[in-house]
Amino acid sequence: MERLVSGLADRRVLFVSSLVLRLVLVLYGDYQDRTMEVKYTDIDYHVFTDAARFITQGESPYNRSTYRYTPLLAWILTPNVYLSMMFGKILFVLCDVLSGVIIWGSLCLRGLRSETASWISALWLLNPLPMGVSSRGNAESILAALVLGTLYCIEAQHLLWAAMLYGLSVHMKIYPITYALPIALALRTRQMTAEKDPGSCWWKKLIDFIRSFVNRELLLFACVAGGLFTALTALFYYMYGWQFLHETYLYHVTRRDIRHNFSPYFYMLYLTADSRWSQWLGLAAFLPQVVLLLVASWAFHPDLSFACFLNTAIFVSFNKVCTSQYFLWYLCLLPLVIPQLSLSVKQGLGLLLLWFTGQGIWLLPAYFLEFEGYNTFVLIWLAGLLFLLINSFVLIQIIAHYKPAGRAPRLKAE
Amino acid sequence: MHLLLFSVFASLSTCHYVAEKDENQDHCHLMRQWTESSSVSVELRKNGFHRELVTTVDLRPGAISSVKVLLVHRWPRSVYIDPFQIASLSEQLKLQILLDSAIDLEVPAHKTSGFVTYVYPSYDATPPTLLKVTVPIHGRYHEPSFVGEAFTSVDIEAPELLLRADKCTEVKSIIPHAVVDAPCTFDNSSNCQWVQIQRKQEIGPMSLPIPVGDGSLEAPVCGITLLVTMICCMALSKHMWKHRII
Repeated sequence: MERLVSGLADRRVLFVSSLVLRLVLVLYGDYQDRTMEVKYTDIDYHVFTDAARFITQGESPYNRSTYRYTPLLAWILTPNVYLSMMFGKILFVLCDVLSGVIIWGSLCLRGLRSETASWISALWLLNPLPMGVSSRGNAESILAALVLGTLYCIEAQHLLWAAMLYGLSVHMKIYPITYALPIALALRTRQMTAEKDPGSCWWKKLIDFIRSFVNRELLLFACVAGGLFTALTALFYYMYGWQFLHETYLYHVTRRDIRHNFSPYFYMLYLTADSRWSQWLGLAAFLPQVVLLLVASWAFHPDLSFACFLNTAIFVSFNKVCTSQYFLWYLCLLPLVIPQLSLSVKQGLGLLLLWFTGQGIWLLPAYFLEFEGYNTFVLIWLAGLLFLLINSFVLIQIIAHYKPAGRAPRLKAE
Repeated sequence: MHLLLFSVFASLSTCHYVAEKDENQDHCHLMRQWTESSSVSVELRKNGFHRELVTTVDLRPGAISSVKVLLVHRWPRSVYIDPFQIASLSEQLKLQILLDSAIDLEVPAHKTSGFVTYVYPSYDATPPTLLKVTVPIHGRYHEPSFVGEAFTSVDIEAPELLLRADKCTEVKSIIPHAVVDAPCTFDNSSNCQWVQIQRKQEIGPMSLPIPVGDGSLEAPVCGITLLVTMICCMALSKHMWKHRII
């Protein structure tokens, strides 16, 4: 009982202190914005606020160029215009802490002790990266909360909630669409797949496999998630027309940003932007992503969190455009994976250091190109390739040291 | 009595009228002086893709109140101005900007065209004799070079300086050759008559070097990129398959 109380106290201290830290950062950001030349607030935050201002004037949020998000976000942020510019940041910070709370809840759901779960969720809650991102006014924390919420609800068997959160998260950003396959595989009827009749022929197996997808859970999930997504899309299409579809979805799918970014494909796409090979090269770059997503979804779908973590990390690393905010998409799922890893603390820190080094090696020539005007395109390209190699190495280490729940679910370090 | 009062009013208003006319002539006189004495100098600050164009307007022998200053920039397609950045920095930069066309912040240089900005520096009533105006500009990405050039050189022209004094109403009759029409204020589309200040000596354009990709590397870059991504893809697939949990 005492233990329970101390654990409870621990996590409360953790949650409250992580919220206070973020609020202090929000206040500090306001101070820095007012007094210093270098602004704390993310440029995107001004984009959101400008879009919200257009909404309050009864206009389309897409009148703000580079606003490439759902109108829902601009709607949510209209208090930025009416109440205070701080509103959005406080909302993002709350979602950020909520993500940490959901991580804690998910870990407890898997049978980890509250104290252990607190330690692991502290990796997110006390991590300067998400803290900085949300307090600077970046909306990624909303997505983190939605995605983590989806996984929590699936694990806790609240399928209706899971489906609604999933539909909403795909509406907000399209990348969680990559979770559709592992979720479908996880929700299909298990008994039928377990039936292994060596005598039956391949087409019978295929029919059995397809039939395993037809069950109540999966249909409910697909209908609710798909229905919510379609309803939101239809509503905003009705309100804002083609521009909504283009800016929110099609732009991201067809995006060919030739400006330097972390993607290994950046220089290739820049050099071939206007060549007739451009379409084929785009397809060639798409192929590894698809293959890896299929393999990861199939190989690890029984542990949905791990499959989603791998899917996101693969999607981001092999994407044609990659910026540092994309890293948060998979970093928020990392705490769910850590208890299943048999890596020592030393190995874990080594991989983390390697990952940061990869980013540093890229950032240096990128800085010299963008702010000093040196021609460092080749170095940026090589650094991008090295970063992909490092990402692949780190992922392979994680996969190799992964122990599925139930067999060896404890971290060596503890 | 009434007559007396009327005559007092009449003489007062005449005085006022005379004073106004004098002031008008004063202002017009100063405008004429400025067309000869004032000058513009420009400087490109910072390096890389994000620059600042600093224009110094020298209003010697001295500015008067209610004189308006307008700088007209003709930008090449190789650079862009972020109107939202200017709007958020307008207090700090002490200026307002009017654009002649919508700006796409993301397209490369060869897929867009040049544009004109009207820059209105803001100041309290009287501009300082030396007025410094800073405009943040950004270089666009350019097509790769297939002839081995590492940089493409972009020419940035100095802005035209236009002046307007509300109190000099007969500007056209005094300085006819230098009067041009331009938007009155940044948020008003109606045109006003401005006096264009001729440059005493022609300022040559400033050169802004922008790094460009090396088009001759197209084949090796494509080959190596696809090779590395394929290797990573195969290694990851192999390990995922080996450690699969179904």
